[in-house]
Amino acid sequence: MNRTLEQILPKVQKPARYTGGEYNAVVKDRGEVDLRYALCFPDTYEIGMSNLGCRILYGVMNREKGVWCERCYAPWGDMEEEMRREGLLLYGLESGDPISDFDIIGFSLGYEMAYTNVLNMLDLAGLPLRSEERPQLTPLVVAGGTCCYNPEPLAPFVDFFVLGEGEEVTLEYIELYRQAREECWTKEEFLQEAAKIPGIYVPSFYEPVYGADGTLEELAIVEGSGAPEKVTKRVVEDMDRSYFPVKTIIPSTEIVHDRVMLELFRGCIRGCRFCQAGYVYRPVRNRNPKLLAEYGKAACEDSGYQEMTLSSLSSTDYPCLLELCDELLDYCAPRDIGLSLPSLRADTFSMNLMERLQRVRKGGLTFAPEAGTQRLRDAINKNLREEDLLQSVRTAFAGGWSGVKLYFMLGLPTETDEDVLGIADLARKVYFAWRECTPNKARGVRITVSTSWFVPKPHTAFQWEAQIPVEEYQRRVNLLRDALKRDKSITYNWHDPETSYLEAIFSRGDRRLADVLEWAWEHGAKMDSWTEYFDFQRWMDALEACGLDGDFYAHRERGRDEVFPWCRIDPMVSTDFLWRERELCYQSQTTPDCRTRCSGCGANRLLSGGVCNG
Amino acid sequence: MADRLLFSKTGRARYISHLDLMRTFQRAFARAKIPIKHTEGFHPHPFVSIALPLSVGYSSECEILEFGLLEGTDPETVPARLTAAMPEGITVHQCYPAQRKLKELSYVNYIMNFEYPEGRPQECEPAIAQLLGRESLVVEKKSNKSKKGYTEVDLIPLIREWNVECQSDTMTLSMVVSAQNPGLNPELIRAAFCREYPQFAPQFVTFHRREVLDAEGNLFR
Repeated sequence: MNRTLEQILPKVQKPARYTGGEYNAVVKDRGEVDLRYALCFPDTYEIGMSNLGCRILYGVMNREKGVWCERCYAPWGDMEEEMRREGLLLYGLESGDPISDFDIIGFSLGYEMAYTNVLNMLDLAGLPLRSEERPQLTPLVVAGGTCCYNPEPLAPFVDFFVLGEGEEVTLEYIELYRQAREECWTKEEFLQEAAKIPGIYVPSFYEPVYGADGTLEELAIVEGSGAPEKVTKRVVEDMDRSYFPVKTIIPSTEIVHDRVMLELFRGCIRGCRFCQAGYVYRPVRNRNPKLLAEYGKAACEDSGYQEMTLSSLSSTDYPCLLELCDELLDYCAPRDIGLSLPSLRADTFSMNLMERLQRVRKGGLTFAPEAGTQRLRDAINKNLREEDLLQSVRTAFAGGWSGVKLYFMLGLPTETDEDVLGIADLARKVYFAWRECTPNKARGVRITVSTSWFVPKPHTAFQWEAQIPVEEYQRRVNLLRDALKRDKSITYNWHDPETSYLEAIFSRGDRRLADVLEWAWEHGAKMDSWTEYFDFQRWMDALEACGLDGDFYAHRERGRDEVFPWCRIDPMVSTDFLWRERELCYQSQTTPDCRTRCSGCGANRLLSGGVCNG
Repeated sequence: MADRLLFSKTGRARYISHLDLMRTFQRAFARAKIPIKHTEGFHPHPFVSIALPLSVGYSSECEILEFGLLEGTDPETVPARLTAAMPEGITVHQCYPAQRKLKELSYVNYIMNFEYPEGRPQECEPAIAQLLGRESLVVEKKSNKSKKGYTEVDLIPLIREWNVECQSDTMTLSMVVSAQNPGLNPELIRAAFCREYPQFAPQFVTFHRREVLDAEGNLFR
């Protein structure tokens, strides 16, 4: 181990985060690899290690001969301070070598508030932040993950973005890079070739042109670059043939999701109109239940984990859920392995299932009705009936559960005060359901209502919407708070509006926001998803210093024909479909799920047969 | 009586905390398919207990873990199987039935390495000799029980023997100190030395647990 690191580690909190050496961490012989890849997650070890996507890519790359993929996370402040003082550059956890010497540095972008960590990690690696200040081919700085569906705020810092699922395209660009290095291509030459790979967006080949009102006039293709009109996202067509991380790193210290994660399927049949994941991960692709059961058992055997969780956007929609659960239970029960099932819908079927799974621990149950009235739930296409929710909580309370969390959003399109007050009504109905069904009134009940401030996202039916002004959000919070004041069993929490405002700015922001990010970072911004570090005023100062108005991005309604910063990115869900969905919202009309009736979103074009198996 | 493992914890594994290490062992037993006894009670879990918690960052070649091997496993095979299921830096050397009680573990031999990369001052050797040769050396020790947040403890009676060896850029102090009730954390020696002789403060000190001993000074297993 590096001597400097050895001297630093006794001074910092939780040093095991910075050492590597975990069970199943891949260590290769430096002499036998020709491609070094730093898979970077712009948050702490505990968060980054919980990310399934990164585990998949780590496995996919490391099973390739000659490729050594290592992990890299954002150090906490105490560690960063020591690293800077001692001149220790950001290093790969497996080898301890500085990532600036690697061939490719890949970031996983899942959350806008982690953007400053990307800049900070590049700086800690000793690299210039902007792509143009890194003229050499090596190291390449690339990024993938959901945030890349609008990559523009990070465009100047990243050489290229990868859209969609990375299992296949990662190996394709690694091969291209090897060729480029072999044949001594320039970075420009490499990027031109890379732009021909489906799913790769090279931001320097698109030049934003702004109109007088500050909106985009076009994102012009740079002449001679050969960059495509649209960059289509990548999907893995056959989930049964795609890599599953059976043998995966088992951390030696606690992380957030410390258990076997079994990914049932990708995509979602529901089509909730606010949900970016629901649109951009289309089409639905299921994994075979037999295969899943095998993976789950093998992963338990290899890891020694005593807990397994099924993961997907909506587990109840997995067609073979019962069959799979039965098979897994046969394995788990005699071994005392807990099986948990998040992302359940609040219907009776799910509750029966829950009861079968969680025989021992009955902690809290969480539901996300998102809106307080049926009218608004219909408008956002959250197809959850009040009666289903109440029936579910009745079953749960009767079965001994004594805590329910209910998640809602405030500021959804078409929301009225009646909808806001509907949240309080619904919470009270849940309370009465408890009174009616609980076998043990003396134990009491905890009902928690949480509201967040709706953030419109790109590639959703609400991408044209304005986020409501902060004063109005605050008024609706107060309205609900007052309505729930007298209900002693109901606790009301609401998100602070500051983070949601910044999310709204960056999620639909354009390339000019890169300067804001850089200014904020220069003035100390990092770890913005952590209250220990978040400073709202710094962001307001950053916007002002760059001459930009946050409200322009967050609170402005866009016209049907506005050119979006993400206009070159194509998740294969058509804009006409999204607009149609938006109009249906204003008529409080629902759209049936993909299995009931295809609504023609266009995602089927990503599959060779042209038919979704949803 | 229970079974015991003798293991070492070196390299990257030094930074795994006591609690994390227990969980790591529980999982490693499962990975190695070595069935062990579970605790009783409402939430049964695999029972493991590590004799003397080791401070984070210290290395050791004499850690003792207690557990209960279930029938059907040959203890001879346990060290190799378990080591293969461990993170880098943890090596299991022996697996054997416990013969004596843990409270008979009385002394620990620590090796402290004082590092002076720019050259060791000559006078640091007499300095440490003088410090450890005192009648008493009372220091403040963090304590959760005391209202003041610390208690006073005399280090000298807790040191059974010591020996110092010097090289051009290091001073190596080997100490046999009290293991428990109360134990002595050698960090307190480092801190006392640096406080009394700031001019000889080393750039860095490493701590290594070399052996655990009984009241007579014989190996404890």
